[in-house]
Amino acid sequence: MKKLKIYSKIFIILFFFISEASAIQDTSIKKQSDEIAKMLKCMTCQNLTIYESDTEFSKQIKKEIYEQLKNGVSKNDVLEFMVQRYGEYMLLKPKLDIKNTLLWILPFVLIISSFLILLVKLRKN
Amino acid sequence: MKNIFNKIPLLFTLFLFCVFLIFLLQDKNPAHPPSALLNKEIPRFQAEDLIKNNFIIDEKILYGKKTLINFFASWCSPCKVEHPMLIEISERHSDILLIGINHKDKKSDALNFLKIGNPYEHIAVDSEGSIAMNFGVFGLPETFITNEKGKIIFSHIGPITEKIYNEKIKNLL
Repeated sequence: MKKLKIYSKIFIILFFFISEASAIQDTSIKKQSDEIAKMLKCMTCQNLTIYESDTEFSKQIKKEIYEQLKNGVSKNDVLEFMVQRYGEYMLLKPKLDIKNTLLWILPFVLIISSFLILLVKLRKN
Repeated sequence: MKNIFNKIPLLFTLFLFCVFLIFLLQDKNPAHPPSALLNKEIPRFQAEDLIKNNFIIDEKILYGKKTLINFFASWCSPCKVEHPMLIEISERHSDILLIGINHKDKKSDALNFLKIGNPYEHIAVDSEGSIAMNFGVFGLPETFITNEKGKIIFSHIGPITEKIYNEKIKNLL
């Protein structure tokens, strides 16, 4: 009888630790999932992120992000999965690749070079 | 020679202006961005057929034929608007494969919806929405056209109307 009591206490403690650990893990996944949802645009609404939006589309995306993170997929891979399916347009902050860097730098290069050409011309005249 | 050098900034500005003009005149709608899967191979999928019992549909059945894939649901009002046009397309282009993907729907509701006519050769059941996710579907209805090699050559968000059929789809089928 005494043994049974000890075993049941051990079982309760173990059960408590396991459920606590899984709750902590769930909270951490939810936090990561929210972070990713904040990085994605809702494609079916205006000026809202997936995190802020409550449309059917956003709910589906949130669910997919959560499921993938739960299955051990990394944050970057989840983002890449979304970009492959919905395009780079979905990212709230565009990727810092050569194409986008050029797009940002080119107007400044054009303004500066135009100014320099104008300066040279004015000096010559 | 010096004259040409002097005109380079002007020619460059004109070139840039033309590039911007071409982009502006393209019928681009930020609410309907082009599918990221355009010109890419069709994503893998596997699903049960809504009507044919024990029939499994996968991406392999699309190879070798031009295919029109339409995502629809009975609860989607624009799908109801589009449906007669899909029936028309199936009658006009009997050589193409028309596949429906029934998205997050009840079987009984979907079957009721099809009482007005069934343009589809196969209907894949996408109860969890995973096929739509792999196709990068924004909302219903959404339509894709694949070529014989299984490459997505066209995508359209929203109902297919007579105008859209004439302007964008007719030549592809």
